[in-house]
Amino acid sequence: MTKKILVVLNYMFLTILAVISIYPIFIMFISSFKTTPEIFFNPFNLPKKWNFQNFIKVWNEANFKVYFLNSVLITISSLIILLFCASLAAYALAKFNFKFNNLVFMIFLAGIMIPIRLGIVPLFILMRDLNLLDTRLSLIFTYSASGMPMSVFLFTGFFKTIPSELSDAARVDGCNEFQIFYKIMLPLVRPALATVALVNFVPWWNDFFFPLLFIRSDSLKTIQLGMTIFFGQYMTDWASLFAGMVIASIPMIILYLLMSKQFISGLTAGAVKG
Amino acid sequence: MKKFILFLTFLVLVLVPVTNVIAAVGEKGVIELDFWSWRTEDIKAYQKFISEFNKEYPNIHINFTAYRNTEYNTILATALQGGMGPDIIQLRAYGGMEPLANAGFLLPLDDKIPELENFPEYVLEGATSRRDGKIYGVPFAVQHVLVLYNKRLFNELHLETPKTWEEFLNTAEKIKNAGYIPFANGTKDAWTLETLFGGVAPTFYGGDEFYEAVVSGEKTFESEEMKRALEKILELRPYLPRNYTGVGYTDMQIMFAQEMAVMWVAGSYEIGTIKQMNPAVEIGAFIVPGETEDTPAYSSIYVDGSYGINADCKYIEEATKFIRFTASQKFGQMFTDELAQISAVPGVEPTDKALREVVNVANPTPFMMLTAFRYGEPSGSTLLQNELQALMAGTQNIETTLRKIQQGIATWYEPFKK
Amino acid sequence: MKKWIQKHPYLFFLLPGVILYGLFMIYPLVSALGYSFFSWDGFIRKEFIGFENFRKVLREYPYKEKFWKALGHNAKFFLTTFILQTTIGLYIAIQLNKEKPVMEFFQAVYFLTYTLSMVVVGFLWLLLLNPNWGAVSQFLSLIGLEKWVAPWLGQESTALNTIILINFWRWFGYPVLVFKAGLQSIPQELNEAAIVDGANKWHLFRYITLPLLKPTIIMVTILTFIWDFNAFELVFVMQGSSGNPHYSTDLLATFFYRTAFGDPTTGAAGGNIGVASAIAVVMLIIIGFASYFGIRIMQKSEIEY
Repeated sequence: MTKKILVVLNYMFLTILAVISIYPIFIMFISSFKTTPEIFFNPFNLPKKWNFQNFIKVWNEANFKVYFLNSVLITISSLIILLFCASLAAYALAKFNFKFNNLVFMIFLAGIMIPIRLGIVPLFILMRDLNLLDTRLSLIFTYSASGMPMSVFLFTGFFKTIPSELSDAARVDGCNEFQIFYKIMLPLVRPALATVALVNFVPWWNDFFFPLLFIRSDSLKTIQLGMTIFFGQYMTDWASLFAGMVIASIPMIILYLLMSKQFISGLTAGAVKG
Repeated sequence: MKKFILFLTFLVLVLVPVTNVIAAVGEKGVIELDFWSWRTEDIKAYQKFISEFNKEYPNIHINFTAYRNTEYNTILATALQGGMGPDIIQLRAYGGMEPLANAGFLLPLDDKIPELENFPEYVLEGATSRRDGKIYGVPFAVQHVLVLYNKRLFNELHLETPKTWEEFLNTAEKIKNAGYIPFANGTKDAWTLETLFGGVAPTFYGGDEFYEAVVSGEKTFESEEMKRALEKILELRPYLPRNYTGVGYTDMQIMFAQEMAVMWVAGSYEIGTIKQMNPAVEIGAFIVPGETEDTPAYSSIYVDGSYGINADCKYIEEATKFIRFTASQKFGQMFTDELAQISAVPGVEPTDKALREVVNVANPTPFMMLTAFRYGEPSGSTLLQNELQALMAGTQNIETTLRKIQQGIATWYEPFKK
Repeated sequence: MKKWIQKHPYLFFLLPGVILYGLFMIYPLVSALGYSFFSWDGFIRKEFIGFENFRKVLREYPYKEKFWKALGHNAKFFLTTFILQTTIGLYIAIQLNKEKPVMEFFQAVYFLTYTLSMVVVGFLWLLLLNPNWGAVSQFLSLIGLEKWVAPWLGQESTALNTIILINFWRWFGYPVLVFKAGLQSIPQELNEAAIVDGANKWHLFRYITLPLLKPTIIMVTILTFIWDFNAFELVFVMQGSSGNPHYSTDLLATFFYRTAFGDPTTGAAGGNIGVASAIAVVMLIIIGFASYFGIRIMQKSEIEY
């Protein structure tokens, strides 16, 4: 009998936590379809009329379409550069024996523990000197560089599992080193590509710190930075604010729901020794 | 792989922004001037001003760029140091302008803009460097800090503008009993406390006289005048919104614009915003009264900023033409009409009724911390805002509050160091 | 030349990554250290002044007070998060490890908040916790607990705790996820063998699960530490760059940001780059030490099985 009560209590606890997790997000969604007075006076009811007016307003008037596009462009470009650089570097570290192999690997690894934010002042001045302030490239370089440590770590692990016989055979067939990498190795680590991509996608999409410091022009703002500007201007228009939040969150939520397996393997890969 | 690299190169090339390369080549005889500002919300109005200017000078093109308020200072300072600053600069006032002038980034305007002679002294102070006494900008707006009130609700509750402090509190009491919020003021956002101080304190510390005494170092912030002023501010606490420590700036705007709150100690710049949020609100203004009807009562005033010229500007003659234009009656009138702000140009009457009332009732004394104590770190504003926040929340008493303010300013303010 | 290249093909593989990483990550982090030894005028470097900037941060008014206060807040931030995640978080992970379909559902729900950005989380809770018309206060009024409504974000006594809990709300799906992955890597035979030996559930947890999970717990703790000592967005978005009210939510990162880039609402001139860099270096040292010792402890606690 007591055991049954415990089981029920346990499920109650899990359910309450689930409600606390999801209910605020639910409120955000329903509020984005309401009018501001409705949010103030009936925060918990479903909207009387599901209207998309708020979204249209935010998308067009508040320039969210530009912010959104910038975010997409920046995250995807960073990803391409990162995958290119990290897979090559990891391949070299995993498959070649050279003098400073271990040292280089350790330097990459150290970056996992040290957040790049702490170098923001020199980075800011560097961007200024390279004439990159207020460009998308400033963010693309920062993001892809900050993604290197974790990605090199993950890729190296993957490459190490690939038996050397494969590349040796290719070498006998007359492939050069680059062809071996491109034709044999890369297809084999495809699952790692997906993992690395997902691990980095979320923090980049959600980043606010670097755009805050690097981007000034409205036409270059990312969605997170655009949100803060928009909040300053529309602070009293809660309906639009909620719509803005939904637009900023929905891509990651969808991505997570579609690819939760890869998400989980990516996020745990770095933290669990296995 | 080749395709991949090609694609990558292509992508990088596409992403390199063309915007950084501003083509300076235009039609023959046309001069391009860059004009930077922090008023992102006023872009349309400025475009109007510029096209008006172009009616007279069609060959001077002005590229107006507005940066975010919170980043403008950093961006401007960085650009000027790198020799990439704009030709025409919207400058902050007082201590926000002076470092730029002292570093030699700005062109002195005293002998270039004859119109400046008509500007009152206290307005020019906002654009004058204390070190060399030269004027570096043409002020564009002044702001008054006083009590704004809802005229319709005053009528409905049969209230009149109070003549003494006691009446003032009685008015608040009546409003509270009628179920409205007497004052919209909250304390969640520290900066709004400087405004509250600017609206209430001058009447009790005694306006200009005390201001001069503190500025010269004769008196300190720990003097009786300041204590009295803070005591009076604390007397307003029962009439602030419920849970006022959690009430932020936007909440205040909502409360006043949606007619939930009847009075608001605020700056004259709110009038335009409130009108946008709810055109039906009829706004009046009065200044916080003293103990008796005969005690002089004050409101605070400050200059918002000014328009100046980069010392490195290649086309000083043309830039001067534009700056002179901003000092003209015509510009001043357009400015107040478009933006619902009080123009700094002398002789310009605001068309807006509420703004006119503000100008008529005001008995201005300088907005203390902003005008005199933002010349060093920690600035008087930083100290006042944050220490007052603790005082209003009841976690700190008046003595400690004033001691901390005095101690902070004394670290850099020479007259206090003796 | 060609021969040399053929002998060292890995250089070509390494080059792009090393340049990218070196220029945009290693160089800024290393130069932050250099910057902290100089005096600065805006973004222009002046003369070498040794440890003067560090002395200012650690010993001189007004930096000293703000620094130690912010450091304390970061420590509290971390400790609270750590305690919550290694108790509630671990418990949840153990529940989720049971092979029941409903647990999959719970896991998906718990993790959802982690995909939201800090900016969205901050603004969302700012609106929800508004004492006058936020959903939380309305909910409390609805169930007759109006007395409980308070300006949580406006009181010095509650503001920091509120921020910490909001951060935890978003974060906790992550430690749960990692703990669960750690649990799954524990070989089932160990548990079965212990049950045969007559161990009860508590013994199983105390003597098998916990020791084997220790490396994972330490790893998550290190990551939490790094994250919490860098926390910035929530406070910046919800409480402003000076950590309202009265610096009660000020963190090292907001203190650093204010010092480096200024705050126009107070007329604070930005660009005290020397002092700001010193703050960054101190943060770097704290994080570096914590990670180093954390990893050492973790390596010691790893048990071969």
